[in-house]
Amino acid sequence: MDLLTRKAWSPYLAGIIIGLLQIPAFLLIETALGASSSYVTVSGMLASYLDPGIDKIDYVARHISATGKNWWQVALVIGVAIGAFLSMKISGAVRPRISPIWSRALGTASPGKRYAIAFVAGFIMLYGARIADGCTSGHGLSGTAQLAVSSMIAVAAMFAGGIATAMLALRRI
Amino acid sequence: MTIVFAVSVGLLMGVVFGFALEKARVFEPGMIVGQMQMRNFIMLKVFLTAVATGAIALAALHGFGYVKLQPKAALYSADVVGGLILGTGIALAGACPGTILAQIGAGYRDAIFALVGGLFGALAYSYSTPFLAKTFLAEGGGKIILTDLIGIPYWQGALALAALIVIVLVVLERATPWRGELGANVDGDRR
Repeated sequence: MDLLTRKAWSPYLAGIIIGLLQIPAFLLIETALGASSSYVTVSGMLASYLDPGIDKIDYVARHISATGKNWWQVALVIGVAIGAFLSMKISGAVRPRISPIWSRALGTASPGKRYAIAFVAGFIMLYGARIADGCTSGHGLSGTAQLAVSSMIAVAAMFAGGIATAMLALRRI
Repeated sequence: MTIVFAVSVGLLMGVVFGFALEKARVFEPGMIVGQMQMRNFIMLKVFLTAVATGAIALAALHGFGYVKLQPKAALYSADVVGGLILGTGIALAGACPGTILAQIGAGYRDAIFALVGGLFGALAYSYSTPFLAKTFLAEGGGKIILTDLIGIPYWQGALALAALIVIVLVVLERATPWRGELGANVDGDRR
């Protein structure tokens, strides 16, 4: 189908499809779209091999227990990687190892520096997301659609932090 | 709900999610950093469209009594502090926790480092929860939604939000059409 081989869709078409995913999430799994809890589940599982006592931490025990919701979200984010891979293959939108914007944004073309910053950024991102109890998906897509007060505050703070960092710490792309 | 069923549904939904993220190009670092530098609005367009669609879907499902809402508790300090830290990470990663996976699927190598960093970040948070539970970050209210504060049914508020978003998107699209924001290699790089 021609639509599937296109490299880019209207953001409105893609947004509608993503928004409609709330229907199976609520009806079948009794939860809302989210992504960042899965990092707690996977890292908690992996860490439990080195530190068997980690399940004494209530937060970890809740996230690694064998519930549908926990593992649904892990499957969801794995599916995201598969879906993006398929879409890229079908359209032929092959990506380089590092987006060309980074050499301008960071002022260096060194892959090593980009990898180090990406690691730190990932760490910060998930630490912050777990403090806020949700990320761009859980608070952003799902919480605001449900008119949750927590999510509106969290989303405003996310954009404030993101805009301040991109304006002050990164160069113009 | 068995785990096998939940995982199957999750995988299938994830494939659709990832496909849509890739087609929208919203997973591109150029789009996310561009949004945060207020020079590219594709991220906001996808985000707001998905929120409006979700709100309409939930207005119907909840209005007719098929589902319960799942709002998160309003922990005001945690929402602000966590949101600011998360936003900082999003700008530096050029991704959010979900789109890191889309970047890996599409072939960006640095996203693998962001993923591993994210797993360590989540683990560090897990280990700090016994301490954080005693701080101001654990303080807050219940699972409050805006329409309960105003005293109207959720579906009315949800439809009002969707209508408001549509107006914002019409104005935004007139000001900066999406095709012009893609860049030659559809990665938000417009040089």
